[in-house]
Formats: sequence, C-alpha cells, structure tokens
Amino acid sequence: MQAFLSDLGFMAPAVMFNIYFAAASIPIGFVLAIFLALGKASSNPLISRLSRGYIYAFRGSPLFIQFFMFYSLALSLNVALWKPWGLSGVVLHPLFMGPLVLILNTAAYTAEIFYGALRAVPGGELEAARAYGMKPAQQFRRVTWPNLIRLAWPAYTNEVVFLFHATAIVYFALPVVGGQKDLMITAKDLFERDYNAFLHFSVAALFFLCVSLVVFFVFGLIYRRLIRHMPPQPGLRFSFNWLR
Amino acid sequence: MFDDIAFWLGYLTNGKHLAWYASFQFTIFAAVMGGLFAILFGLTGAMLKSSRFWPLRLLGTLYSSIVRGVPDVLFFLFFPLAFEQAVEWLVATQVCSPEMIAAQTAAWPPCGEANWYLDTPQYLMLASVSLGIVYGAFASNVIHGAMRSVPKGQLEAARAYGMSAAQVMWRIHIRQMWVYALPGLSNVWMLIIKATSLLSLLQIADIVLWADRLGAPNFLPTVGLVHDDWRWRYYLVLFVFYILATWVSERGFEALMRRAGRGILSEGRV
Repeated sequence: MQAFLSDLGFMAPAVMFNIYFAAASIPIGFVLAIFLALGKASSNPLISRLSRGYIYAFRGSPLFIQFFMFYSLALSLNVALWKPWGLSGVVLHPLFMGPLVLILNTAAYTAEIFYGALRAVPGGELEAARAYGMKPAQQFRRVTWPNLIRLAWPAYTNEVVFLFHATAIVYFALPVVGGQKDLMITAKDLFERDYNAFLHFSVAALFFLCVSLVVFFVFGLIYRRLIRHMPPQPGLRFSFNWLR
Repeated sequence: MFDDIAFWLGYLTNGKHLAWYASFQFTIFAAVMGGLFAILFGLTGAMLKSSRFWPLRLLGTLYSSIVRGVPDVLFFLFFPLAFEQAVEWLVATQVCSPEMIAAQTAAWPPCGEANWYLDTPQYLMLASVSLGIVYGAFASNVIHGAMRSVPKGQLEAARAYGMSAAQVMWRIHIRQMWVYALPGLSNVWMLIIKATSLLSLLQIADIVLWADRLGAPNFLPTVGLVHDDWRWRYYLVLFVFYILATWVSERGFEALMRRAGRGILSEGRV
C-alpha cells in the first residue's frame, strides 16, 4: 500500500509530460487535419493526390519509425541549419520534437476521420445553401463545417485517446533530457530499481486509464453541446472505439 | 560510374547489411505469430463475451476494455517481464533453499539458480504472445460484432437439423462469421504490422535496431570517416518498407474478402 502511494507520487509529475505532448499536438493537428481533409476531397488532382499520399504514408507506417526518422533527420541537419541559427537547443529538444511528430501523425489520422465525415455531409443542405446564394466560404462555415464536426466528433474523441496513448513511446525514441521523464520511463526506471513489474506498470496503466476517462468525459460534454439542437437520441453513450 | 555501382553493391552487401536483411525475419515472424495469437485470443474473448454465464461475460468484457484502455506499448513491455518473473518465482519455490535466498543480494530473482535467461527466440515468442493479447482484445470486439451479424435464420436452420450447440458454433456460426469480421480484422492486422516496430524494446536485434547501428556515424581507423550520420536514410527505408507492407496487406485482404464473400450477396463486397 505504501509502495502504491509512493508510486502515485512519483508518477504524478510524470503524467504531466504525457498530457503536455497530447495537449501541444492536438490543436495544431486538428487545424492541419481540416486542410488535409479538404485537400483530399479537392477537385484539383495535384492537391488531392498530395493529401491522399500524405495521409496514406502517415497512417501506414508506425509512429515509432516516424519519431526515429524525424529526429535523426533533425540531428543530421543540425550542423547545416539549427546550429548557425542558434536553434539546436530548441529543435532537438524532445519537448519540441515530440509534439512535432505527433502533430504530423495525428493530422493524418484525424484527416481521414474528417474526410469520411465530409463525404457524409447531407447533399441537400449544401444545395439549399447554394440556392440561398451563399459563397463557397459561407457554405463551408455555415453548413459543411457544423455537419462535419458533429459527424466526426465521436471518432475524433477516440483519436484523441489514441494519441494520448501514443505519447507513451515518445521517450523510447527520443532522449530523456534533464530528468524529464514521462510515465513509461518512470515506470521502467522504478522497475529497474526493485523489479516489481506488477506494481509500477499497473500504476502507470492506472494513470493512462484515468486521463483517458477524463478525455472521454470532457469530449462527451462537448458532443452534447454540438448536438443540443437535435432530437434526443435513445441511449447515446460513448464507448471505446476499437480501431484507430 | 562502374566504380560507384561496385561500391554501392559492396556496401549494401557487407556483413552488417546482410545481418540487417536477415533481421526482417524477426519482424515478419512476430507479425504472423502475433496475428495468429490475436485470432486465437480474439475468438476466446468473443466467446467469453457472448457466454451465458455472467462471470465469463464479465471476464471477456474486462479483458477487452482493460487491454484497450492502456497503451499497447505498456502492455507489450509488461507482459514479457511479468511472465519471466512469474516463471522465475515458480522455479524459485522449487530450487531455492533459505540459505540461497539469504545469500542473494539483488532484488530479483530470489536466488541465482532461479534466474531465467531469455534469448532472442524466446523473447520473440513472448513478444508475439503479448502482441496477440493486446490485439486479441481488438479482434475480440470485431469478432463479437461479426458473430452477431450472422443471419439468425442460418443458426435456426442448423438447430433444426439437430446440431448440438457446439456444432452450431463451429460449423455454422464461426464459419460464416469471417465474412463480416474480415474488414475489421484487416484493420487489426495493420495495427499488428505497425506494432512490430516495437520489437527492439525487448532487446530483439530487429530491423529498427540494425537501422540505428548501420546509420550511426561510421569511423574506421584505417580509412577514416566512412560516412557521417546516415540514420535518417535507414529510417526512411523502414518508413517506406512499412508503407509497402500496409499496401500489400490491403491488397491481400481485398482478395481474401472477395474470396470469403463469394456466394454471399452484397455483404462480402463491402
């Protein structure tokens, strides 16, 4: 019991790093994903191909490899670019590199969700908007976007939880700087001290589970607000979506 | 020109590169075995979930939601370590005498004789099982959903023919379930492929570890600097390899779905 409580104390600061990685990458990834989804649906073949390829590449390869690839790329550009600009401390820092790769990764997954939602936006509403004489920008802001976000929100909630889980591998690929350890590294270090795998990994799992539940709760509240004008649906509830 | 080609041929077939190419077997083995275990655990989980006894149902639901609620990498690290420790503890209860335990200074194992040293094939097997457990939870949900999509009439007909519950399950229910499960299972397979990149975390000299070794700045005392930091090129190769693996699996699953769906109207063609 004592050991459990001390583990909780050890990991409370560590979970902040995981939360930081997720919180730093979600907003930017969200915005990027909108453009990627619109790009994939674009009628311009070049834009469409590029967005399609980007989404396919980042969804088809492991995040772990993406971390290694971008970090080693940044390392090899260090002498040519970052150092002369005096940026190497920033660019090569895991607190910058981690969110950067997570943004690139989550943008692809989120874009796929948004693209699916974009195609499900009711055509009749768009026709009505055109009949009212709305300009394309107006159509997007007033008709497409509200529908899109409402359709995509449940899947997007799951993507956010997946992204939070994905922050567990950041420090397996990037170096730990100045004792800034996240949950997994803390659990691993504690394990290497007394070899009590069951305790330390369970506590780390508990933290991941708790934050995931908070995410589900908060995103559920937002979803309730998004659909507040719709007729109440029977038994609306959030459950884990099983696939990313 | 020819010198260049000869150099690159020589460089790409030196001993370390051959070891790198050989290490692809670990990744492929882990993916295939992990996939088989995932099907096994998925089927078990789905059967538990649709069991008539509530303790089994609870077990099935707990399995899928707990494994799913934590990051895969956490479980991937935890299971081999926990399994190794459990075996060592079991051995320790048999071979360790109190004096040996008193003489042991390290925190684990209880005594030196109980130490279990794992080599690569054993780690690979443990890694496959833990991949199977993690993605079996995903697969159990897919299979559970697919079992409910099998038309009730088929099961009723089987029962009317006098088949026992087990016969209905194996001959009709699970046979017909695949058509509905394949699209979901294809996604689980993609996840397993991507998760095989984590093998190096279990001290397996897999493609990621070799890419890191090969790409690191290479300095030979006799020649000087052979190449500077080339790691990103090697990781780029792995990036492309995984994208190709995904693409090939996609095509494979499309063919599989066409085959499983033949003779069945519409559903198999999704």
